[in-house]
Amino acid sequence: MALMHVENLKMHFSGIAAVDNLSFDVQEGSITSLIGPNGAGKTSVFNCMTGFYKATSGEIAFMGTSLINIKPYKITEMGIIRTFQNVRLFKNLTVLENVMSGAHSNTKQSVFGALLRPAAQRREEKEILERAEHYIDYIGISDKKGYLAKNLSYGDQRRTEWARALAANPKLLLLDEPAAGLNHDEKEKLLELISQFRDELGITVFIIEHDIDLVMKISEKVIVVNFGKKIAEGVPEAVRKDPLVIEAYLGRDS
Amino acid sequence: MKLRDRISSWLESKFIQAAASAALLAFMALLPLFTDNYYQNIVWNAFFYMLLALGLNIIVGYCGLCDLGYASKFAIGAYTTGILIKTYHWNFWATLPVSIIISIVSSVIIGLPTLKLRSDYLAIVTLGFAEIVRITARNLKITGAATGLIAIPRPTFFGIRLVKITHWYYVFLILVVIYIIISFRIRNSRFGRALAYIREDEDAAEAMGVNTSLYKLYAYVLGAVLGGVTGSFYAVKMTSISPGSFDFNQSVNVLLAVILGGMGKVPGVVLGAAFFALFPEFFRDIPVIGDMRMLFFGLLLIAVIIAKPQGLWPERNK
Ligand SMILES: Nc1ncnc2c1ncn2[C@@H]1O[C@H](COP(=O)(O)OP(=O)(O)OP(=O)(O)O)[C@@H](O)[C@H]1O
Ligand SMILES: [Mg+2]
Repeated sequence: MALMHVENLKMHFSGIAAVDNLSFDVQEGSITSLIGPNGAGKTSVFNCMTGFYKATSGEIAFMGTSLINIKPYKITEMGIIRTFQNVRLFKNLTVLENVMSGAHSNTKQSVFGALLRPAAQRREEKEILERAEHYIDYIGISDKKGYLAKNLSYGDQRRTEWARALAANPKLLLLDEPAAGLNHDEKEKLLELISQFRDELGITVFIIEHDIDLVMKISEKVIVVNFGKKIAEGVPEAVRKDPLVIEAYLGRDS
Repeated sequence: MKLRDRISSWLESKFIQAAASAALLAFMALLPLFTDNYYQNIVWNAFFYMLLALGLNIIVGYCGLCDLGYASKFAIGAYTTGILIKTYHWNFWATLPVSIIISIVSSVIIGLPTLKLRSDYLAIVTLGFAEIVRITARNLKITGAATGLIAIPRPTFFGIRLVKITHWYYVFLILVVIYIIISFRIRNSRFGRALAYIREDEDAAEAMGVNTSLYKLYAYVLGAVLGGVTGSFYAVKMTSISPGSFDFNQSVNVLLAVILGGMGKVPGVVLGAAFFALFPEFFRDIPVIGDMRMLFFGLLLIAVIIAKPQGLWPERNK
């Protein structure tokens, strides 16, 4: 059984089909990519998978459980964590506090814990802090721990978002154009990290990318969409040679 | 290092913070020994605003919700206590749990349907609700209509009848300390961080697993409860309450104190409230400026909001 199964997914916006009858699987332990030109509907697929958009029709299932009509925070609790195309950090909070938010979905102290501070709450706070610091280290931004997110360089903002996602201990990590705006070295480092996420942390990674060459290097499977429809799927080499894919990219001049 | 950075790193230092807080608290505790009733009452008024501002800060500062009717929250507490004491002859302390429960119920009724909508709706609904509370209080017999409730008996505390202004000075000082502790405990907890995540970016908060509608409701209810308790104490301190004490102006004053001091930053909110309560007093007796003090105050507020939208309290960290 695939970790994530998407079948006949449709997402319409007042008549425009952003996602049109899309079906695909993400296998457990894989690095899978969804690529396509600008406006092809990639982010819309993510938004449907994470509950931010309500799919017009179709089925999305995670480990056999349907995600249709499930609230985003519940989907996060199930172990599906996303990043955003246009980095969305908590700007007036520190890097540490940002990354601590990752631990929210699998910890539980609430109002009374906060006010009365029982032992369970203090233990959990310590665990959240340790986990956040661990992933800040892992991503390599320890020196920025106390910075406010809004004062970070663009690359560090991206890195903070990854650390935040990892701190949630995801089963499936959804990265929306993680390389956008990064320089060459940072991109190389990103590729390395993504392989590590899978190999060291055992996370299944699903990446949206705009840039074909980048994902070709690390993906086992590539799904190509154009105008919301799937036009190719398979191993990187085969997809790259696919005439429909070449046309989609050349035809759209991107 | 720029002066601003130096000030903020100095304020960050734990030791300095602890020492300054202890010194300030000691000063506040000793103040009644060398001031008369008049000044104590002015400072009491500042404490009262601090309580309101700290309560509203949970809603506005911590969670980023817009509440334009905070006066209704403390009106509910004040009337609950006032009615239970006057009409049903309850002991003041026994009215507190009831005041808390009614605050919870009313804020859930308002918050549950509205907090799911876009945040601007809450502003409108809270504004409307505050007017409903005020108009209801004006027209019901049990709330004393336009006259309000008068001659509410003073409570006793460990055998002491709280009648002197000095008593109320200390009661409210203790409350301020409790509210500050509550604020800090919330701020440094999983719950409080979740509120900050919502304030900063609601979608990203949801994506990190925060049940945003539930947490917004928690923040709203908690703010309402703190306001309700403040209202209960206000009723017995003043011994009389009327619909005029809870008008739109009050809501705006408290909201401005929170914004002025720096949304979400506890020391800033406390100073904002103090400034708000004390400012008009300082200028009252000076000719010309005294008459125009509210105009001057308004201009100052506009200047602050334009120049430092994050409030006057310095930003933490880099
Ligand atoms: N909330 C929305 N309301 C209306 N139309 C939308 C919405 N979200 C996406 N669309 C439309 O759906 C189409 C696909 O958009 P989407 O953002 O999914 O594409 P994308 O492949 O992620 O593009 P990009 O590479 O630019 O990020 C576009 O035409 C877009 O305008
Ligand atoms: Mg996109």
